[in-house]
Amino acid sequence: MNPEIDTKNKDATDVSSPDQPAGQPQQTAEPARRASTETKRTAHSVTVENLRAYYGGQESIKGMSIKFPANEVTALIGPSGSGKSTVVRCINRMHEEIPGARAEGRVMLDDFDVYDPKVDVTAVRRAIGMVFQKPNPFPTMSIFDNVAAGLRLTGTKSDNLRETVHKALRGVGLWGEVKNRLNEPGIGLSGGQQQRLCIARTIAIEPEVILMDEPASALDPVSTLRIEELVEELKERYTIVIVTHNMQQAARIADTTAFMLEGELIEHGPTNKIFTTPEDERTERYVTGKFG
Amino acid sequence: MTQLAPISSRRRRTDVIMRGVLGAATIVALVPLVLVIYYLFHKGLSAWSKNFFTTDPNGNFLGYPGGIRSAILGTIEIVAFATLISVPIGIGVALYLTEYGKDSKFANVVRYFVDVMTGVPSIVFGLFIYIVLVLARTGGSTFAAWKGSIALSLLMLPIVIRSSEVVLLLVPGSLREAALALGAPRWRVVARVVLPTSLSGLVTGALLAVARGAGETAPLLFTVAFAQSLTGNLNQSMNSLPIQIYNDIQSPRAEVVTRAWGAALTLVLMVLLLNLIARAASRRSRLG
Amino acid sequence: MQETRHAFREALKDLERQTLGGMDLVLQQLDRALEALSYQDVELAGMVVADDDRIDGRYLEVHQGILSLLARQAPVAGDLRIVAALLHVIRCIERMGDQCVNIAKLVPLSGHEAPKDKDLLDAIERMGQLAHSQVSQAKDAFASRNVDLAQDLVHQDEEINRLNRETFKRAVEIGDDVELREWAMFMILVARCLERIGDNTVDIAEQTVFVVTGLFREFADASTPPETATTS
Repeated sequence: MNPEIDTKNKDATDVSSPDQPAGQPQQTAEPARRASTETKRTAHSVTVENLRAYYGGQESIKGMSIKFPANEVTALIGPSGSGKSTVVRCINRMHEEIPGARAEGRVMLDDFDVYDPKVDVTAVRRAIGMVFQKPNPFPTMSIFDNVAAGLRLTGTKSDNLRETVHKALRGVGLWGEVKNRLNEPGIGLSGGQQQRLCIARTIAIEPEVILMDEPASALDPVSTLRIEELVEELKERYTIVIVTHNMQQAARIADTTAFMLEGELIEHGPTNKIFTTPEDERTERYVTGKFG
Repeated sequence: MTQLAPISSRRRRTDVIMRGVLGAATIVALVPLVLVIYYLFHKGLSAWSKNFFTTDPNGNFLGYPGGIRSAILGTIEIVAFATLISVPIGIGVALYLTEYGKDSKFANVVRYFVDVMTGVPSIVFGLFIYIVLVLARTGGSTFAAWKGSIALSLLMLPIVIRSSEVVLLLVPGSLREAALALGAPRWRVVARVVLPTSLSGLVTGALLAVARGAGETAPLLFTVAFAQSLTGNLNQSMNSLPIQIYNDIQSPRAEVVTRAWGAALTLVLMVLLLNLIARAASRRSRLG
Repeated sequence: MQETRHAFREALKDLERQTLGGMDLVLQQLDRALEALSYQDVELAGMVVADDDRIDGRYLEVHQGILSLLARQAPVAGDLRIVAALLHVIRCIERMGDQCVNIAKLVPLSGHEAPKDKDLLDAIERMGQLAHSQVSQAKDAFASRNVDLAQDLVHQDEEINRLNRETFKRAVEIGDDVELREWAMFMILVARCLERIGDNTVDIAEQTVFVVTGLFREFADASTPPETATTS
């Protein structure tokens, strides 16, 4: 299902991490940059059909339908409590892990309904990865083990674990910064690096879709921009849905933006349109900061 | 320009008085503790000798009364067996409560019972085992070391469960979430993420339970009784430090009484050592 | 409770006020230039030329204000359209001011005692009135975001364009008269300036429609009525 991918070798032009003194040259001999032999890997689209989500008796998503196109970044924006995080958690069925929470409706990963009772929920989550707001590397594991954790925890056999881990680290632009300390604890990295480590952990198992729940809101501005650049690159291989409070971020990186309010989808369209001529009055008021 | 008011003399006085009162309370609490330690050393150290640790009590009315070797080893055997029973089961129950039961009715009922068990006097556990196992001659014996272990494990179990649950709850939910979101089945999340993260805390909790169990006398009285000679057979009576002390302290012979103090000192130091190990382990885990 | 982004909204309103105030300046300049022309008042014409600095200054102020707002407040959606429109409009205002100066500069050149042609004068006068009303209407349309009023400006501009053509024809007609010829040439130039002012008001009208609908349509061809703008 997944063709072999040539990862872009990012080391040669990787911006040195903020921890290093400015101007320090990359000293190691990098392998020659593999040029655009990188295959654009077509990921799957996700279609949400009439989703309803409940916390106990309270309905927090009131019948929502939306399509997230393949190989695109879609941003979900809206005020707190609008249900953006809930929707995203329903896509990879993490919502039901909360006691008393349940969801109804269909979520189609291409042609498969992830809520089909015959489907193994762990398989859904392997195909739909998630990155959280606060970076959460496993504290007892080294950097290497953290990236490998996805494979080990799912019992996935990998012919060459090492190569997979290295590739994932390169894919998030961390390789140059950590290649000499793969055995050090994962929590020893800076916040931005930890978040990229978590992303590496997610892409190591080659999902189809990556869900991001405010991935940069806990990070400093420079790290935020690096994560955004990373998202730009990742969409070549994955379909990405990103929940964000930061409208400027959505404006910068999303191809499509969806605005939610109180559990409903209010407007959904190309980002350019949402931020220049939104159709719905509520969208206009939210993006111009009249409320929210 | 704003004036910062100086401390009123009344506040100063109150401060001094409170300090005095609290200091006095501390001293009052410390005094018995210090006295106990002093007495232990004062009376028990003289009993310590090479023979003390290498010979068994021989029950002779005259002559050298023997050491406490069988008591030390007996305590170790009985407590070890009790640990083997209570720690895995205790951690298992804690895992159930935090990972699966969570806030369900059943889980809350279990928690309630565990709380009740921590309050049960240790002698009740002893009596319980006495009736259920000793009188019934289970395993073909009346008093037996393994029965004492079971009684101790009943005592240790709630401690292990409680402290393990606390430690397991300290594992951030975000770690579980991260593992689940990767597509791991729940048992792997527990085995590969939750347990390793909380490991040192669990060990600390277990060590504290062991320290408690090692010092209990009443359960052993009714289940293990007393034996003088060294034995490895868990299916019969075995010596243990608390019982040894209990017996010796009532003896008319001065040397035997001294032996009791020596044994008490040994027991206290063993428990102290265990506590220090637990503390060092938890400090390491906090830094790690 | 105060609405959010209060400072931003105030700043945006101020910018609009300044821009529309620029249009008042243009009206002033236009009236004075036309007066100077009809009474051959060279002094008044001089004042018009000098006062153009005020309009240029207004342009710089608004331009700077817009840059600042963009950099600091990152306006989006409706606010962004307003800002983009204001940038356009202030440019039109500056150009209209320049046209008024051009008219004023023609006053001393057109001579005191030269005979005049009544038809031509009437046409110019009519054009002046139209220009004034167009500028005024453009200002109102933008301020009240009135799309219909804005679109009507196209029709009005037809009239001024027609008068411009007539002026040219008339000037050609009387061109044989040596005494009138030079004066007529200057009048053609004046008509051209007024016609340009009219075009600028149409530009402003286009911006008005853009702000309201998000669609930018050139009202270039006045013979084809513009499609009713739909919000889509």
